Amino acid sequence: MKSRKKTEIQEVIQDNSRRSFLKKTLTGGAIASAASLGLMRDVFAKESGPIVIGHHAELTGGFSSWGYWHDKCAQAAVKVINEGGGIAGRKVVLETEDTESNPAIGARKLRSLIQRRKASFVVGSVHSGIMLASIPVATELKTPYFSAGEATEATGSKGTRYSFRTGTDTYALAAAGAPWAVENLGKNWTMIFPDYAWGHSHHAEHKKLIESMGGTVNDPIAVPLGTKDLVPYLSKIPEQTEVLFSVFFGALSVAFYSQSKSMRLDEKMKMYSVSGTIEAIDPRDIDGAAEGVFFLENFPRPLEYKDDEYHKRFIEMMNIDSVHAEEIGSDRIMAKSHAWQSYENFFALKAAIEMSGWQRDSDTPGVIEALEGLEMQNSLAHPQGSKLLRAEDHSGMIDCFISKVEDSKFVVKKRIPRDEMIAKLPPRYDFRKMSL
Amino acid sequence: MRVTDTYKFGSWLLVLFTLTAPWVLPLLVDSFWVDIYSEILIWSLLAASVNLLLGYVGLLSFGQALFFGFGMYGVAIGVVKFDLGFWSAFIFGISLATGMAAIAGSLAVRLTWHYFAIITVVFSLIFYFTALSWKPITGGDDGLPFTIPPIISFGDYKLTMTNANFQYFFIVTIVGACYWLMYRVINSPLGRAFVTVRENDARAALIGLNVYLIRLTAFIFAGFIAGVAGALFALFGRYASASYMFYHVSGEAVVWAIIGGVGTLFGPIVGTGLMIVLREELSSVWDHYLLLVGVAVILTVIFAPRGIGGAFKALAEKIARQQFSRKESGP
Repeated sequence: MKSRKKTEIQEVIQDNSRRSFLKKTLTGGAIASAASLGLMRDVFAKESGPIVIGHHAELTGGFSSWGYWHDKCAQAAVKVINEGGGIAGRKVVLETEDTESNPAIGARKLRSLIQRRKASFVVGSVHSGIMLASIPVATELKTPYFSAGEATEATGSKGTRYSFRTGTDTYALAAAGAPWAVENLGKNWTMIFPDYAWGHSHHAEHKKLIESMGGTVNDPIAVPLGTKDLVPYLSKIPEQTEVLFSVFFGALSVAFYSQSKSMRLDEKMKMYSVSGTIEAIDPRDIDGAAEGVFFLENFPRPLEYKDDEYHKRFIEMMNIDSVHAEEIGSDRIMAKSHAWQSYENFFALKAAIEMSGWQRDSDTPGVIEALEGLEMQNSLAHPQGSKLLRAEDHSGMIDCFISKVEDSKFVVKKRIPRDEMIAKLPPRYDFRKMSL
Repeated sequence: MRVTDTYKFGSWLLVLFTLTAPWVLPLLVDSFWVDIYSEILIWSLLAASVNLLLGYVGLLSFGQALFFGFGMYGVAIGVVKFDLGFWSAFIFGISLATGMAAIAGSLAVRLTWHYFAIITVVFSLIFYFTALSWKPITGGDDGLPFTIPPIISFGDYKLTMTNANFQYFFIVTIVGACYWLMYRVINSPLGRAFVTVRENDARAALIGLNVYLIRLTAFIFAGFIAGVAGALFALFGRYASASYMFYHVSGEAVVWAIIGGVGTLFGPIVGTGLMIVLREELSSVWDHYLLLVGVAVILTVIFAPRGIGGAFKALAEKIARQQFSRKESGP
């Protein structure tokens, strides 16, 4: 009797245990499935919110005459992208921060763009100091940063896996322009520039190339900062100089062209420079002082030297005339050789985001890999022309143009195709070796 | 509540906020503000170095950015050119700034008032242009970015400033140590000698104080504090630039110190904090925000000439007086 009762009790206990086990298992399974669904939703779900892209621009301060155009380009790019359905179906939100042309403020504004405004990508500054201050910050915050300045270090010794540049640096400008200039303008060179990094960098890169081509480079003339009267320095230019290469900026650039013209240097030697020295300046406004000067440009000012539908549309979007790049209704001249990057970089990002299937910030390494070696075709997205974002050093390989100022108009004398430039511009760094 | 209690309450509130900021700030605003607060703490040291000279010794310096720049370049050059580790570079930067302060100070403190202000600007300009032109060492106008070395490394484990919380508390510790040091100096016999020289240097000399040596000591100490700020800012920004050495930067520090209240220990933090927050908020809505900042400065100087710190002190004293008179006329 006792044993029967015990057996019944044991059966009840066993039955209870079995039921409870089944119950617990089913409940656990249901919870696990729900949790797993929740977790997997994050893995497979597609984000549908807007993609925030930051623009780090010089809206005020010393570079504001360029920054105005960079801002206009960025706004135009985002408008075109959103009208075409956004990026991977997601709307693009543009967040702009003013660097005030100051590295200290620029670095803080970059943190603001990424941390406060939640920018996943940043189209960056044209100011070399700001871009170099920004690259370590962008790298640490794991955010791709496109710079538009010319300091070689951004895609060289100070570059990282996160820094990109579709335009040219001093290394590329020397490789693109110096061979033609040595062949066509002369072999004996003197370089004059303000005594700071930009000029020294151009001097170093050009000197190597000119000497390798059998040319002679005289001692450079570094003008102390703050100088207004250039005559004492212009008088130091050696008699035998055939090519005078100048690298000035803004008001000092205008002073250089005016004072060298009044000393009739242009009659004794050929004058050569890079687009940065005449950017946002109209030769008509400086009374013919830039007449006869050769400039290496990234994007010809007049439509006729890259006469296609895309360039025409770009000019319309910028609301500038098709000869002098002057804004209609104002006297602003477009900083065309640099500002196009703030337009095209958005499309480079769009291509890389769509290629990599980027959904959220954790997918950013895929975008970087897609940007490395990205080919961009001449199109409305890339009106400057076809280009390659070289995989090794994240540098843009683009067509360049040698123009001469004739009757206050830029006349293209030679187009330097990107392949010609690539041949003289081997990569000096391979950022792909850096981990993501 | 006594005046000292009000001070203590204010100070403890500031300390409590500082120690909990990485957790408290993200609850209230964006986590970005933790970085801004770190910046405020660093820049407040530059304002504190101005305050030390102006508020306690009576010397108005427009050259403190020079020592900030030396601290900053010391760290960057130490890492990039000499391959120094974290601590060596940090100490190198501070030593360079302090050494420069000793050299500049030995000449500058012979002068007072506007002559002193002018010579500090001149020193600042000389080295600003030198840094701008000396590209191989300073990077010229491009500046000198660098990768921050680890603070401690054990095999594969590396503790670096890239850890946001660690970076914040490192800055808090160093800034806190500097304020503690300033507090100790200000309340020591040397601090009293500073104030004596400020009040009347002729009388100070008559009672046997070596005015030149006291001013020089204050100048070197202020240079050291500015150097610590520069070294910290280089580590925070991973970058050094000549633009930080320009006398405009010194001018900003003078404004922060005046707004916060010269002659008060924590005034520079308040002034720096207020002006940076104001700048940060206004700059995102209006490009010409500096006009509004200027208006705010003018209003503060007119309505609170002793700065916010001074106004706080006056308010605390007023409350204490009212309480005292209530007690006196009690039931």
